[in-house]
Amino acid sequence: MATAPLLRLVLLVSCIGSSMAVLFSSLPNTLTVTSSPAAGQVLHAGVDQIKVSWKLNQSTPASADSGYKKVKVLLCYDPVSQADRGWRKTDDHLKKDKTCQFKVTTQPYSSGGGSFVYTVERSIPTGTYFVRAYALDSGDTEVAYGQTTNAAKTTNLFDVVGITGRHASLDIAAGCFSAFSILALVFFFVVEKRKAKK
Amino acid sequence: MEDSGKPSLHVESSAAEGSHFKLPVDSEQKATEFWLFSFAKPHMRAFHLSWFSFFCCFVSTFAAPPLLPLIRDNLNLTTTDIGNAGIASVSGAVFARLAMGTACDLIGPRLASASLTLLTAPAVYFTSVINSASSYLLVRFFTGFSLASFVSTQFWMSSMFSPPVVGVANGIAGGWGNLGGGATQLIMPLVYDLIHHIGSTNFTAWRIAFFIPGFMQTISAIAVIALGQDLPNGNYRKLEKAGDKHKDSFRKVFYHAVTNYRGWILALTYGYCFGVELTIDNIVAEYFYDKFNVNLRTAGIIAASFGLANIISRPGGGLLSDWMSRRYGMRGRLWGLWVVQIVGGVLCIVLGRMNNLSASIIVMVLFSFFVQAACGLTFGVVPFVSRRSLGMISGMTGGGGNVGAVITQLIFFKGSKYSKETGITLMGVMILCCTLPITLIYFPQWGGLFCGPRPKATAEDYYAAEWSEDEKERGYHSASVKFAENSVREGGRRRDSSPAVPADDTPSHA
Repeated sequence: MATAPLLRLVLLVSCIGSSMAVLFSSLPNTLTVTSSPAAGQVLHAGVDQIKVSWKLNQSTPASADSGYKKVKVLLCYDPVSQADRGWRKTDDHLKKDKTCQFKVTTQPYSSGGGSFVYTVERSIPTGTYFVRAYALDSGDTEVAYGQTTNAAKTTNLFDVVGITGRHASLDIAAGCFSAFSILALVFFFVVEKRKAKK
Repeated sequence: MEDSGKPSLHVESSAAEGSHFKLPVDSEQKATEFWLFSFAKPHMRAFHLSWFSFFCCFVSTFAAPPLLPLIRDNLNLTTTDIGNAGIASVSGAVFARLAMGTACDLIGPRLASASLTLLTAPAVYFTSVINSASSYLLVRFFTGFSLASFVSTQFWMSSMFSPPVVGVANGIAGGWGNLGGGATQLIMPLVYDLIHHIGSTNFTAWRIAFFIPGFMQTISAIAVIALGQDLPNGNYRKLEKAGDKHKDSFRKVFYHAVTNYRGWILALTYGYCFGVELTIDNIVAEYFYDKFNVNLRTAGIIAASFGLANIISRPGGGLLSDWMSRRYGMRGRLWGLWVVQIVGGVLCIVLGRMNNLSASIIVMVLFSFFVQAACGLTFGVVPFVSRRSLGMISGMTGGGGNVGAVITQLIFFKGSKYSKETGITLMGVMILCCTLPITLIYFPQWGGLFCGPRPKATAEDYYAAEWSEDEKERGYHSASVKFAENSVREGGRRRDSSPAVPADDTPSHA
């Protein structure tokens, strides 16, 4: 009977161990995820909306989702947006993976599937994206996934145009401060010349 | 400290004139003491104006790197774009530093430095309106020109402070200016956080943040013009009219600068201490942010600790150089420079191999001390390479620092060929290779790293060789002769070879 708590400890440790090393390649693709933008559609940050829906695959046995407690939906970069940008690199270790940097929603899982309407936030940068959903277990560890694009991430991608962050007031202020700097220089040069003449 | 009755170290008859300066001065009215916490006109005031405006230029030049995680997403930059802009930011100053020496000669350090600072301020303000990779590159390029104010800082200190204290003045002015590269890594994320908190969206907040360094630059330049003075006795225009200043020929000064091989060697080695410092200023915040997943503010704090070491490391290098010189003369200065820079190179190699956050930080801080001390040690040797062409040699060395930064970023930090860690390690290897030429520096009158001095060579011969017979007849070389006499100490203490010669005395003349 002393082995029971020991077994529980081993199980706990292996759970922790496995959550520290979840590999994307080990996750089954059991969720079907669809999003409203058509392939190639251009969305504007802060303005447009995406409707995301997810449900269990038809082909997956119904009992497979017994461990799914939550669904985490993320906005992810496509390979073109990742090219020559090391800070967006895909890594098989989920803890190190930087493909999906923006959270759309986290919701409790229900076997009938779910959906969410997401307004593209103003902090989303310009790029090409797809949507991915992870199924999480009770320990918040990823156990399955689904995404709107294929494995090579080439189909069904949409574009987001980010805000520029520029404002007319900034443009004007920059112009004024610059003019002031130049004029100050001219002023002092003129004063120098006058002093030297004396 | 405030005793007016105490005679200055250089006892000259003009002391009887009753100098109206708060600090003790020598025959050229240059201060013979350095009072750090004083703002006394004109010497200490010049020091504070000069280091602070140079500090502001450094803050502006490196204001973008700590905010790159935002800027790169806002402008959709690639690693190549970022690398190119980093190179551009330090390449403008290569030629600007050379030109600055001439400008200081023509219009004086006060106007030269203020003009440069005010003319580059618009580039900083316009950083808030950029929209693409090319506009990002352009603003960083033009902002980087302001780093040429290093030359005017050193020139101004050399005009205001006498040889016994000019090393300390130059070292602190240079070090506290370079501090800006570290301070900005703290200032910019802090300002951004504040503005973001007040309510701006992130892609607007970083733009607003750039008005801070721009404004600091404008104000400091105005202070320099309004409150500063070129020379202890007045400004250039006034003195030239009175005939108190002799103008040397640019061609001759240029010739004697470029034909002195020591200037070229020091330019190369400075590229691998100061150039490395500039490179690190450009890449370190992003490196910590991406590799260790810390947030923007934390990456900024870590990155800042690199540049902040300049408060004591560069002045420390200058002090070490002076200390080595007291015991071993010029050979001591060269050994100090070589050893410190080599240790810096080794630490750089180690930094690239660290995979643990705390170990990385510790190695980086140690690395910063050595690499910045090497900068201070370099400028312990530079004043002795040439007397006639001092301004230009300083400009060449300073420019060489920037060339090192350009080359290093081009080879190791452009594009995605090397990961940042590998780049840092390889940069360390390059430091070791490019520090080797110091072994070739040889002064006939004082020796080099491995060889002693030539028996009959003197400092007078060395410095007088820069003037033609004709010029010597006219007495143009008199300043060089005085300087040679003052450099007596670079011969070092004679310990064993000639017991008849008392320690620290004048070298034996032929």
